[in-house]
Amino acid sequence: MSWRRVGRWLTPVVAVLGVFVLWGVIVRVFDVPDYVVPSPRAALAALVDDWDVMRPLLWTTVQETAIGFVVGAVLGFVLAVLMSRWGLVQRVLYPVLVGSQAIPIVAIVVPMALILGYGLRPKVAIVAFIVFFPVVVNVLDGLASVDRDLLNLARIMDGRPARVFLLIELPATLTPLFSALKLGATYAVTGAVLGEWGASTTPGLGTYLLIQNSRVNIDAVYATVLLLTAIGVTGFLLVLGAERLATPWRTRSTARRRRRVRSPMRDDVAAGEGGRP
Amino acid sequence: MGAAPKLAADRITCRFGETLAIADASLEVASGEFVSIVGPSGCGKSTLFNIMSGLLPPDEGRVTIDGREVTGSTGHVGYMFQKDLLLPWRTVVGNIVLGAALTRGVSGRDEAEACELATRYGLGGFLDHYPHALSGGMRQRVALMRTLAAHQDVLLLDEPFGALDSQTRLEMQQWLLEVWDELDRTVLFVTHDVDEAVFLADRVLVMSPRPGRIAAEIAVDIARPRGLDTLTAPDFMATKRRILGLLYGTGGEAT
Repeated sequence: MSWRRVGRWLTPVVAVLGVFVLWGVIVRVFDVPDYVVPSPRAALAALVDDWDVMRPLLWTTVQETAIGFVVGAVLGFVLAVLMSRWGLVQRVLYPVLVGSQAIPIVAIVVPMALILGYGLRPKVAIVAFIVFFPVVVNVLDGLASVDRDLLNLARIMDGRPARVFLLIELPATLTPLFSALKLGATYAVTGAVLGEWGASTTPGLGTYLLIQNSRVNIDAVYATVLLLTAIGVTGFLLVLGAERLATPWRTRSTARRRRRVRSPMRDDVAAGEGGRP
Repeated sequence: MGAAPKLAADRITCRFGETLAIADASLEVASGEFVSIVGPSGCGKSTLFNIMSGLLPPDEGRVTIDGREVTGSTGHVGYMFQKDLLLPWRTVVGNIVLGAALTRGVSGRDEAEACELATRYGLGGFLDHYPHALSGGMRQRVALMRTLAAHQDVLLLDEPFGALDSQTRLEMQQWLLEVWDELDRTVLFVTHDVDEAVFLADRVLVMSPRPGRIAAEIAVDIARPRGLDTLTAPDFMATKRRILGLLYGTGGEAT
């Protein structure tokens, strides 16, 4: 790894550390009482002290977030494909979907629990509800953005509809899909927490947050926020990694799997990665 | 000529609503011949190409290849657009074999042939490159190789070099002649650049403004192989002047 690459990885780490430092400095300089804003040290200490209690809760919230995220993404993708195939489906569903997003999530937490029970299901449903919408909108845009001439070319080549869809239309949705998933990964945690604010037999970090809020145990509240943020950031990074794997042409100038080793000239070419040879 | 022409369009008429886009246009291209079509913009060149490729059924007239009627059916010609239309997620080889990928699936032979084509025509070092890493001229080369790899005798090239800068365009024209000479395909080439039309073709068809029809046919009797000298040779100038005269209704300016 070159120094430039190390620097690229280090920058975000330093930035996050910087936020913690700034937090500590502000609390100290303005002499903020520790029952209003705890110091980062106190929040981290609460995290360490309560870790045994929080760990199973963290696991529950991670499960809700992850399952809900996947369900929402798959549902959104399938809906978008169906809507792009059949105009009628799109005309019927689109206004309904847009309307559904105007519903305040908090308002449906209790009704969801009544319908789906007090276990994981209502939380998964709420997370999925938040994640699927940007996926539908972005994938639809991706499908609509395919060049007409490209589809004409496919017709001239006598392309089979299924193959045209698979090789030309589907890959065109990947970039917008991943934009939606990145948004979804960060929103999803909020969905899980809100979902847990209804009655629940499977307590998670959202439940814990509610309890610590009512006790005004501010150190524990901040500790929980740190953990919830970590879930969101981890999700985002996982999506980012998946995106790099799924769309290599956006970050590389050659395919990962090389066909054959050719003349030494190849190395000069590969060195100019990303640039025009 | 006793044999049927390689490609023929017979009394093609096409309307878009009230507008008569093409009126009674006929043309024939012999096997292995290179024919250019020039005409003012909006004369229906691209519409005529859409009809001959089978994308658009004409209101009247027929299209035949080797005497077989193919009117309104696709899969009989190779086609190249002004845009390269390369898929950003497929490598150079992946794009060249697109025709196979969209129909029967890519075989090892298709891949080997694509590698061979790319290597022969100067892209051997870029087989696994994605299109974004290539220059405009290289991308257009890949697009032509994709057209060649579809194994059609008849190639319809619709202003394929129109988006390139003039220097790259000249290189591409010379390269196209080289490919055409080696691979023995029948080419119909649309352009609005008279120099390009004359430089490349055996014959130039001049289309009239809307409604489009074939207004004139000019044989280009310039020896091959043609190079840079051709562009300033007297017979090139004479042919160009005739065509300009037909296009703009003057005798053509002396150069």
